[in-house]
Amino acid sequence: MKIKNIMIRDVTSVLATCKLVDLIGILSRHKITGLPVVNNNQEVVGFISLHDIIRATLPNYLGIINSDSILSEFIQLSKSLKEYSQRPVEEFMRKNIVTIDEDNNEVLAADLLIRNEIQRLPVLRNGKLVGIVTLTDICRVLMNNNENNN
Amino acid sequence: MIGTITLNPAIDVILEVSNLKINHYNKVLNAHTTSGGKGINVSKAIRGYGRETIAVGFLGGGRGRMIEEELRGLGITTNFWHIEEKTRSNTIISDKKAGEHTLLSEPGPKITEYDLEMLKSIFYRVMSQCSAVTLSGSLPRGVPVNIYGDLISIAKERGVKTILDTSGEQFIKGLEKRPFLAKPDLRENNRVFGIKIDKERDAIKAAKEVVQRGAEIGVVSLEQKKDIIATRDEIWFAETDYHEIVNLIGAGDALIAGFAIALTEEGKNLEEAIKFSMACALASALREEEEFSSREEVEKCLQCVNVKRL
Repeated sequence: MKIKNIMIRDVTSVLATCKLVDLIGILSRHKITGLPVVNNNQEVVGFISLHDIIRATLPNYLGIINSDSILSEFIQLSKSLKEYSQRPVEEFMRKNIVTIDEDNNEVLAADLLIRNEIQRLPVLRNGKLVGIVTLTDICRVLMNNNENNN
Repeated sequence: MIGTITLNPAIDVILEVSNLKINHYNKVLNAHTTSGGKGINVSKAIRGYGRETIAVGFLGGGRGRMIEEELRGLGITTNFWHIEEKTRSNTIISDKKAGEHTLLSEPGPKITEYDLEMLKSIFYRVMSQCSAVTLSGSLPRGVPVNIYGDLISIAKERGVKTILDTSGEQFIKGLEKRPFLAKPDLRENNRVFGIKIDKERDAIKAAKEVVQRGAEIGVVSLEQKKDIIATRDEIWFAETDYHEIVNLIGAGDALIAGFAIALTEEGKNLEEAIKFSMACALASALREEEEFSSREEVEKCLQCVNVKRL
């Protein structure tokens, strides 16, 4: 099945110049944890997620999340976040990210998602963002296919 | 891709009752919700015909997310700016026994300057993917009347054809930025530029003035089933010869969708574009359900449209 028939048809994204505080507002209102970063022509130039921000503001935080020292680190994290709130997304985003064309199929998408250990894959048409595909979307399609085959 | 902008969308809650009694307990026979707003309806009609479309505008809260889900389910791409306040809701009580419809309309949410700035940034980026954009409908609180003019300027800067369909001061201000096609929304008082649109000559006068004030094509509807279309050098008259209209809600939006499709298809001249748009409106008016017409339904309606140059 073609990705264009599976993808989430939403192109919510931010510019690389977007401030972290604005990005958090967008993620919160959309109830998502990450989104593509684009230029003014809707070409994807990066991807930013909450994990990227936490990793950048407090590199040890994700490693000690289950240890006793989490509380003191958490205070440090909140201080860092406040300090970084006016910094642009481009300082924290992942660059050279993996994307997929809308005419490719679910097998390639699943391979890219698993191989690169990522949750979301921006979908492109003529090099411009037209949607997002996740492993959940692919699993849903595969399960429905199996149900139909049975 | 064809873009649409909806600044004041709504969730329409339709409650069917039999013999509504005020101050009494009333049982609802059937209830359903659907997304509303002129631009959203245009996107639905474009998608119904099979073309790619992207809906842009303001949404807020759970209702906003519900609208997004519905549109994506229909195959419409979304890129809304989510605001602090929630999207409004319209409740329509449809009394089956009395044959009456009562509309309870909530005021729109408050839009801030920051929201407007963010919307314009999204709009600028989305225009890089579009060949045409429609700008339709009312404005929520806090949005200045020159907003459509600003958006038309952005779209033109990016080489995108613009179609304006609104009423009042925002229509007049939008015309100043010279959209490609403009149609006044006459639903509220059947009047534009102080002209009351009762007869064919009134519609011709108004359509000419739309062109004179800046649009390349002016469209004015007359008695719901006829349209006058003016350009700098020509006046066209279009009407349908089908009389079993069942649902006029959304027909005007389907007309706008038709123009957006036709004007971005290569090789279609103005006469063909008018005929196609009227067929889109007729196909919508023949449907009892709120879903928009398919390509087959539109093509069937083409033979029921008469277009002549005056």
